[in-house]
Amino acid sequence: MSTYAVHKVCQSLRWNDAFRELLRADPRSALEPFALTDEEREALLSGDVARLHDLGAHGLMLGYLATFGVLGLTSDIYAERIAKARSPI
Amino acid sequence: MRPLPRSGERGGRVVSELVAAVAVPHASHYLREVPREPQGHTAQVWRAVGAHLEAVRPDVLLMIGNDHMNTFFFDNLPLFCVGVADRTDGPHDEFGADPSYGMPQHLMPQYEVPVNADLAQHVRARGIADGFDLALTQEFSVDHSMMVPLHFLRPAMDLPIVPLWVNGVAPPLPTARRCHALGASVGRAIASWPPDARVAIVASGSISRDLGSPLGRGQRASVPDPAWAATVVRHLQRGEARRVVEEATADRLALAGNVAGELLNWIALLGAVGDRKPVLAERMGEGDASIVWRWDL
Repeated sequence: MSTYAVHKVCQSLRWNDAFRELLRADPRSALEPFALTDEEREALLSGDVARLHDLGAHGLMLGYLATFGVLGLTSDIYAERIAKARSPI
Repeated sequence: MRPLPRSGERGGRVVSELVAAVAVPHASHYLREVPREPQGHTAQVWRAVGAHLEAVRPDVLLMIGNDHMNTFFFDNLPLFCVGVADRTDGPHDEFGADPSYGMPQHLMPQYEVPVNADLAQHVRARGIADGFDLALTQEFSVDHSMMVPLHFLRPAMDLPIVPLWVNGVAPPLPTARRCHALGASVGRAIASWPPDARVAIVASGSISRDLGSPLGRGQRASVPDPAWAATVVRHLQRGEARRVVEEATADRLALAGNVAGELLNWIALLGAVGDRKPVLAERMGEGDASIVWRWDL
């Protein structure tokens, strides 16, 4: 089980201006080239950061979805949702 | 390097000397706090550590820090890596536009920083000979882990650095014992470096810190385990580095936050300084989780 593609989405958001704009304008198209599982894809599209964290994505990376305000996320919404994720141990 | 009196000799061979060891935090919020309160406690502590480094006249700063997926990424992720080049730059960070979260690229200059490639190669070669599988990068930028401390301690950027990265962010992390032993190897590398130079180690990190996981209970950056922070502080104040190394297990660090592996940078520094007690310990806000330490050598 790899969340590498999820991390790639977050990293591209940070550093790739064109990807960031596409993710804002047409998220499904923007995510299409990434090797995401269906579950990861739908979790991203619905901003379900708790699910993504439960799947193994790193909070350091997921947090950028909020700080860049994409996929319906703000810092407040992120905080509310991530609280529902499983604790690490 | 400036001509200096001999730092030391071993059997007639001139060698270099570890002249300072400081452990500092690197959080980007200091970039807001210090300009806002230039006479406040935090600003004073940064200045005091900078003054200490100036007083010991180092020729090189060996920086031990953890990358935050800015220099490296999951595609190619070293546990330990030495940067060998003549120069670097930073902070290479992209935090996003949320104003509630520090944006180093807007709150501090982009710096050019010289790197001492010779010491970097020597540290790596000595480490490999000691059994540490140290990765290599020769073209890199550095992130806030090293640039925030440099910004506060040596903004002139006149001293060359050697960057040594420890993975403290992406589990499985190197063990505390391994990091401590690596620090001892780095200490030996410094002591065996021919040029008769004065070397300071600046390790940046934290004891309990979380960025965006459920441990943070809603905060972007938080301190999930203040009890662990207090424990580490107590051990360090008593010069009991061994207890920090023993107790900093993977599970303990995981409870302390998803970047609590930043402690490993300080644990590496402990390996270089041995059992000496620190002579300075200042809290920098966040209770016991952000401390500045100094060892006199």
